[in-house]
Amino acid sequence: MKRLGRTLAIVALFLLFAAVLSTQIRSGPAPQEQTSTPNLQVTFNRDIAPILFHNCAACHRPGEAGPFPLLTYADAKSHAGQIAFVTQSKFMPPWLPETGDFKLADELRLSEEQIKLIAKWVQQGAIEGAASDLPPKPDFVEGWQIGKPDLIVKADKPYHLPASGTDQYWNFIFRTPVNRTRWLKAIEIRPGDKRVVHHANILVDRTESARAQESSPGAGLAGMEIKIESETFDPDSHFLFWKPGTIPYTEPDGLALRLDAQTDLVLNIHLQPSGKPEWIQPSLGLYFTDHPATLFPMLLQLENDRKLDIPPGERDFIVTDEFTLPVDVQVLAIYPHAHYLAKDMQAFATLPDGTKKSLIHIAKWDLNWQAVYRYDSPVELPAGTVISMRYSYDNSAENVRNPNNPPKRVVGGNRSSDEMAHLWLQVLPHTVPGEASDPRRLLQEAMARHNVDKNPADFEAHYNLAAMLQVRGAAAEAMQQYEMALRIRPEDPAANNAFGGTIIASGHPEAAVQYLRTALRTRPDYFDAHYNLGIALAMQENFKEAVEEFRAAVRINPRDANAEANLGTALAEIGNLREAQAHLEKALAIDPNLALARDNLEELKRQSPGEKP
Amino acid sequence: MGADRQTLRTISLPRLVFTTVVLFSVLFLPVAEAQQASDLAGAAVDPLKQSPGRIVVLVFVRTDCPLSNRYAPLIQELSVKYARESSFWLVFPDKSKSPEEIRSYLKEYGYKLSALRDPERVLVKKSGVKVTPEVAVFNAKRELVYHGRIDNLYEDFGRSRRAATTHELADSIEAASKGLPPPIISADGVGCFISDLQ
Repeated sequence: MKRLGRTLAIVALFLLFAAVLSTQIRSGPAPQEQTSTPNLQVTFNRDIAPILFHNCAACHRPGEAGPFPLLTYADAKSHAGQIAFVTQSKFMPPWLPETGDFKLADELRLSEEQIKLIAKWVQQGAIEGAASDLPPKPDFVEGWQIGKPDLIVKADKPYHLPASGTDQYWNFIFRTPVNRTRWLKAIEIRPGDKRVVHHANILVDRTESARAQESSPGAGLAGMEIKIESETFDPDSHFLFWKPGTIPYTEPDGLALRLDAQTDLVLNIHLQPSGKPEWIQPSLGLYFTDHPATLFPMLLQLENDRKLDIPPGERDFIVTDEFTLPVDVQVLAIYPHAHYLAKDMQAFATLPDGTKKSLIHIAKWDLNWQAVYRYDSPVELPAGTVISMRYSYDNSAENVRNPNNPPKRVVGGNRSSDEMAHLWLQVLPHTVPGEASDPRRLLQEAMARHNVDKNPADFEAHYNLAAMLQVRGAAAEAMQQYEMALRIRPEDPAANNAFGGTIIASGHPEAAVQYLRTALRTRPDYFDAHYNLGIALAMQENFKEAVEEFRAAVRINPRDANAEANLGTALAEIGNLREAQAHLEKALAIDPNLALARDNLEELKRQSPGEKP
Repeated sequence: MGADRQTLRTISLPRLVFTTVVLFSVLFLPVAEAQQASDLAGAAVDPLKQSPGRIVVLVFVRTDCPLSNRYAPLIQELSVKYARESSFWLVFPDKSKSPEEIRSYLKEYGYKLSALRDPERVLVKKSGVKVTPEVAVFNAKRELVYHGRIDNLYEDFGRSRRAATTHELADSIEAASKGLPPPIISADGVGCFISDLQ
């Protein structure tokens, strides 16, 4: 009975999903463009109502984000001049991107003719017009926008938003209410009072790392950009996005999001005080599908936060990054992100033939209206395409949004007074059925190499590259990268554990022990490190100490079948057969198909037929 | 003679008119005239005839204007801070908002100020304000010394500072309380157009 589970603790799991929510309600056919005849009397009923119903009323109706409804003549009349003003200034409807080379889905933009028509209506005295001209009121879905969710989770307690003060960023942590792996086709975010919630993001936290940052269980936590610490390499935290007017986007079959038991969904919301105290208690509606994911989009991140060091008074500070695609991809969606100093944000794709296409251009960035933009149809980019970003920042006093008065030096960081230079792309690599090399791996590895080149002193860059190399079996290079990561952070538990795991896999358990012990010194309750140390000791036939490590592992995570099976096996090795059997049975209770537990239990019973439990 | 009668008649006419006006005001004083601002009980109030010797601040707001809503805590705070030298009035120029709606709005936003309805925009005209929220500051002599924004928190719709860097309302009250002219007599506010109201 020499067989021990040689399963390494998982070092790298890639989250490959990004669901993007679409905005804007389609409440009927698009209104026909009005051609304005100079002498025509513009009326609300005939000319203005169709524009407002189609472009504004999704938010400007009771219960939604708009501060006043725009459903009737009286509604529109009492804000007529303001409507003309904000449509001319393009403040409303809120839509940041310029028209570019690729059409974006659900564009929320008025045509110049529509804007002129509104202005003319106001100039002429905002006339109501003939009742017979009024189109039917838009038919909006009340409550959950895509039907009753399969599961609803509500925040345990509300967050209290004070009546005044600066913008607030708050994180609610929801435990996913599933006890097995499920596939999600949509999530609807109901953020609470939509008038004060400017936008919201869901971060999928598979390691309870947000929970660990709470002051007390269930308290939630403040923060604009919280970091989901994760040994599982997580290429992004921005998975699900809500802004006013959002209708959840239902993923087509094959593009579902995996949701495991014991996963947290962290809802990060941006709130603006309204003048009165508010209590915000969001809920999430989950919609499941029976179709597991077969297509795996992933998120590519271009960024250059380390280059952000903006002197006070600087009006045009440029930050760039570029990345060459190693494989063909379809770009599904794009999410530019920065804080209050950014003014102009551009992203390009330079095709192998030299053609340069604009992926997105935001000429007047406004954090308040940030959004994930989905392309109307996927953008095909062949291998060899260079994706580039170019952001410009204004740290002068003329930038009224400047968080510092007078301006001061600003660097990259998570706080709202820091800056960011991020560009996320949701891409779907072309997968050739039956081909051995997964294009996602190539893409991720290329991304990781790019990050190492860009930031050679960055621990995470080396760690992530190492984890990827390890997964694809390039153990020697993986070990080099782990060593470089450990040179930067010698005590880091995740890197020590992963390095130890790789050394075990290369057949040198004796050399792994010191790293695993370092990991446990820094983080005594580290399940993976106890587990791996147990494996390393067992491989050296030090079953006595191995038992102690496995015991520690199952204390931390009593639901891990492998840990139970290994504990049972190691106990059997030191002759503690009765206890061994109990743990092997426990392993089988958790996972009835676990071969290690089943085989060893049979072997145990064969060797000691007289010992009945 | 004829000339005398003529003279008599012309003299008597203004007297009659004068008498009528007096009678009219005696009869109808407790009820708001169409041409006057009124309190929430419906009684006509001219805030400029109240609080003798003190500064009068009119703050124009709407219940459905997110910008004036956001200022509620500051307006309330300033009214308390300057309670000794000034009296603050909230003025609602929206004809369509009933006293009941305004009362529940005041409660919701924690206002303790006296509120007036100004459906005919008598006070709006006297104050020269154009949007909500804007304010008008009248000195003890009831001269309009400042009108416009409360501060510069908003530069435009959707463009706000983290915190205001100029404080026109507070500055003008402080100047007026010392009998000085304010640093600036007018600054445009950002908000909902009063002219849009019926």
